Amino acid sequence: MPTDRQTLTADLSEIARRIRVWVVRIAGMSDCHTGGSLSIAEILAGLYFHTMRVDPADPAWPGRDYLILSKGHCVPGLDAALALRGYFAPEHLVTHLELDSIISGHACARITPGIDVSTGSLGHGLSIGVGIALGVRMDAADNRVFVILGDGELQEGSNWEAAMSASHHKLESLVAIIDRNRYQTGPTEEMMSLEPLAAKWAAFGWSVRTIDGNDTAAVIDALDALPFEPGRPSAIIAETVKGKGVSLSTNQHMNRFDEAQLKQALQELGEPV
Amino acid sequence: MAKCLPEVLLELARADERICGVSCDCWGFLAPLAHEFPLRAIEVGIAEQNLIGVGAGLAVRGKIPFVIGMNPFVTMRCFEQIRTDLGYGSRNVKVIGGYGSGVSFAGWGCTHHAMEEIALMRLIPTMTVMMPADAFEAERAVRAAAAINGPCYLSNAGGELPLGIPEDQRSFGMGKAALLRAGDDVTIFACGAATAEALRGADLLAERGVASRVYSMHTVKPLDTEAVLKAAQETRLILTIEEHTTIGGLGGAVAETLAESATGTPLRRLGLQDTFACMVGGYGDMKARFGITAEAIVDAVLNEKP
Repeated sequence: MPTDRQTLTADLSEIARRIRVWVVRIAGMSDCHTGGSLSIAEILAGLYFHTMRVDPADPAWPGRDYLILSKGHCVPGLDAALALRGYFAPEHLVTHLELDSIISGHACARITPGIDVSTGSLGHGLSIGVGIALGVRMDAADNRVFVILGDGELQEGSNWEAAMSASHHKLESLVAIIDRNRYQTGPTEEMMSLEPLAAKWAAFGWSVRTIDGNDTAAVIDALDALPFEPGRPSAIIAETVKGKGVSLSTNQHMNRFDEAQLKQALQELGEPV
Repeated sequence: MAKCLPEVLLELARADERICGVSCDCWGFLAPLAHEFPLRAIEVGIAEQNLIGVGAGLAVRGKIPFVIGMNPFVTMRCFEQIRTDLGYGSRNVKVIGGYGSGVSFAGWGCTHHAMEEIALMRLIPTMTVMMPADAFEAERAVRAAAAINGPCYLSNAGGELPLGIPEDQRSFGMGKAALLRAGDDVTIFACGAATAEALRGADLLAERGVASRVYSMHTVKPLDTEAVLKAAQETRLILTIEEHTTIGGLGGAVAETLAESATGTPLRRLGLQDTFACMVGGYGDMKARFGITAEAIVDAVLNEKP
């Protein structure tokens, strides 16, 4: 691995760590969807600090790449990435859920700078991504569209309507990233199994790669290889740990940390307390 | 002669490159557009939820999509997508109910009746809801929908039934009830295909010496409350008629306006009285059985309760 690649990997890993630190701080202030926010930290770092073409000073720049967080409850992770990228000051993050805060409980395009699509009800994001990609094609432009989905979310049938149409229309600019953390309110495979998941996406006409979604180098490699095949949408199945990096959040949907728990979580993330 | 929706859509698309179409197995509506602008006409198959999401995404990209499905399905199956992805985002998407407004599918069954389309669509903040009475209004409604910035539901209602009024004596303004007949005894507000029944009812009432004022309330939201209040002051009875449940539709909207006014003018709502239109038979048979006819109007007026 060339040195610049090592540096990039180290830099993005540090950004992922800082995303987690902010998620944990939010959970120290209010209820917070920690588990699914912590599991996608490397993905968010890779997208916003390496892959996506964006301009935080001009969030509506027509040349931007689009990100839809279809699992909209994991907005603490997205908001942390947006703040670190410069869309707004990170201090806003710990106003999560407070009166008139710009940090809402689910992803909100009307409230938070840098968010293009409001989400929260699962199973909406991929269709919207298909629409954006079709619009980009009408413009003969080269913007890319990334949609982050939860694995439990894929139990919503609407995703498969969207998946079918994306391959039918050969949307090479569309990328679905599935956060395969294997937990919803309980273990996903026990509640409603998704396997064989990669085969399902492939059968719907997508080009699929399964990676360790908490391994920064693997995330970069996958993002750099997009599109995986000409004329097909790409799906990245990111095997992750729900609550990665924070033992109190492991396989947890939500946390609200007291002072001692916050201190422990920050220590686990190597953050000075 | 009014132009049909596919022709109007193509004309609009020629004038504005943001205009595009998405079809939910209603490709006929997009065929002229697809012929001239292949990239701007998209088929999603029988998938209403995806239809609305794709429309929302196109609007995120700055397009003005007309998304087209069958009335009962495009208002119910994907209600949440319309509410959240179009309404909450105030997306510039025009949802077109292309086939099957009201009970026009009649004996084909209750699955195909759009007896809740108005109620559902008018529930959503930011939505404009239009139920044109015939092809004249439908053409103008489509043009008006394209001209506003925001989500819109437009039922291709009534379409084929001519109202028998020369075009040069008609007018159309979004949000403005269209006066089809002047009269000072009773007022009938109608929308969609029921408007033709309202005019026929006015004819029957005229034979009995009752002068009816008839409006096409083609825009159910925002409602022309001024026309409703004026009618409440100037005529002794208000009727509404619609191929829709009387709960939450045109009748519901007019009732809300009257209830908050101090006029005390009585209201009779004709439409489906909290029932499914379950029967086998023709369109006329169904309207007769469920009281959505000129004769039902006459009955409501002549048997007016104090």
